[in-house]
Amino acid sequence: MTEAPVVTAPGPAPAPGPRRGSRWLAVLLVATIAVGAYLWVTTVRWQHNAAQWEDKAHEYAQEVASLRMQLDAAGSELQAARDQLSTATARITDLANEKAQLGDENVASQQYLDYQTQVSAAAGTVASALGQCVSGQEQLVGYLKEADQYQAEDLRRYEREVNALCDEAERANQALQQELRP
Amino acid sequence: MRTVGRAPARAGRALLAALLVAGLPALSGCGVLPPMPEPVPTDIVPSAPVALSPAAGGDALSPDGFDAVERMAVRIRNVGCEELSTGSGFAIDDHTLITNKHVVADSRGLEVSTYDGHDITVGATSTAGLADLAVVRTTDPLPSFPELAEADPEPGDPVTVVGYPAGGELTVTRGEVMGSTRDPLNANLGEVLLTDAPVEPGSSGSAALDDKGRVIGVVYAKTADDNSLLVPLSTLQDMLADDTAFTPAKGC
Repeated sequence: MTEAPVVTAPGPAPAPGPRRGSRWLAVLLVATIAVGAYLWVTTVRWQHNAAQWEDKAHEYAQEVASLRMQLDAAGSELQAARDQLSTATARITDLANEKAQLGDENVASQQYLDYQTQVSAAAGTVASALGQCVSGQEQLVGYLKEADQYQAEDLRRYEREVNALCDEAERANQALQQELRP
Repeated sequence: MRTVGRAPARAGRALLAALLVAGLPALSGCGVLPPMPEPVPTDIVPSAPVALSPAAGGDALSPDGFDAVERMAVRIRNVGCEELSTGSGFAIDDHTLITNKHVVADSRGLEVSTYDGHDITVGATSTAGLADLAVVRTTDPLPSFPELAEADPEPGDPVTVVGYPAGGELTVTRGEVMGSTRDPLNANLGEVLLTDAPVEPGSSGSAALDDKGRVIGVVYAKTADDNSLLVPLSTLQDMLADDTAFTPAKGC
């Protein structure tokens, strides 16, 4: 048994243009809304982010201003301390020099005092020698006044001894005078 | 036929929606759309400070505000047999001073003081036979001492002299090495250094330093044209290395 072929009557074809266009428009609209929503959310978040950064910037700016003031004050104090240190070191150098000069003067004075002591001792020795010379000469004069009571040889020997003593005293005196001469 | 045509259309719309959902971040990642902001960090201060440079004048720090070259210089008072004289010297270690032989000659006693006026107790003194050099040992520790340079200086090299000219204040003078010459005083074996750094009587025994503060010589004389003569570093090193170079100094 054979079936009769199905025959359909050709009707009017659906118009694809407007429907497909509206679909694309709908898709475009959805896409635009999605992009818009994304941009809106992004903008809001960036605004929030920017506000946070601005707050932080203000906070750090205040901190910077405070630190600058502290730095300026510390710098001034440091400069003042440096000036004081410089003055102190200069003063220490001056004092060290003054102490050294006083030490030099002290040593020089001590050396001069030692010299004067030696000169005084020498002057005393010279004075004593001259005194012994004078005493010897006086003694000799006394002996000579009573020359008949002594041996002539003894008187001459005593005279030589007194003369030698006086010569030595005179040389010591001349040496002292030479030393004392400016 | 219509049912056959709708299936691909639905699939296309789903694909478009998926592209939109997945494509926005991709577009933003490619820079077409702005990305979402990163969260603001709680602290942006770096944990370690950036490299700091010292403040102006900070390189001159010392325990008491004096330079190292000043701290190692000493003033020497020679209480002589008949007269008083002064000279300079410098430390080469905790208990050793270097000065000139003529500074410590004919001495009944040496009195040493530092840059800040402290007195240093002196021990044995010995002098060199072939150079105008002397070594003074101290009982008290010395505040500072410099390094010795590696070699003698060349003409044109800067030189700094630190000492007590005329027995006065501690003074630092500067000049240049002019060259080497024969010793006009015949006090040293070999050649000596000639510099234009100003010195005075009393500067004898001063340390001559290079631009790094290292010893390059010892001042021992001044010429008629106001230049200074140094015992060179090489002579000093040779003498210090020779155990027989120094003999005990003869006093009064």
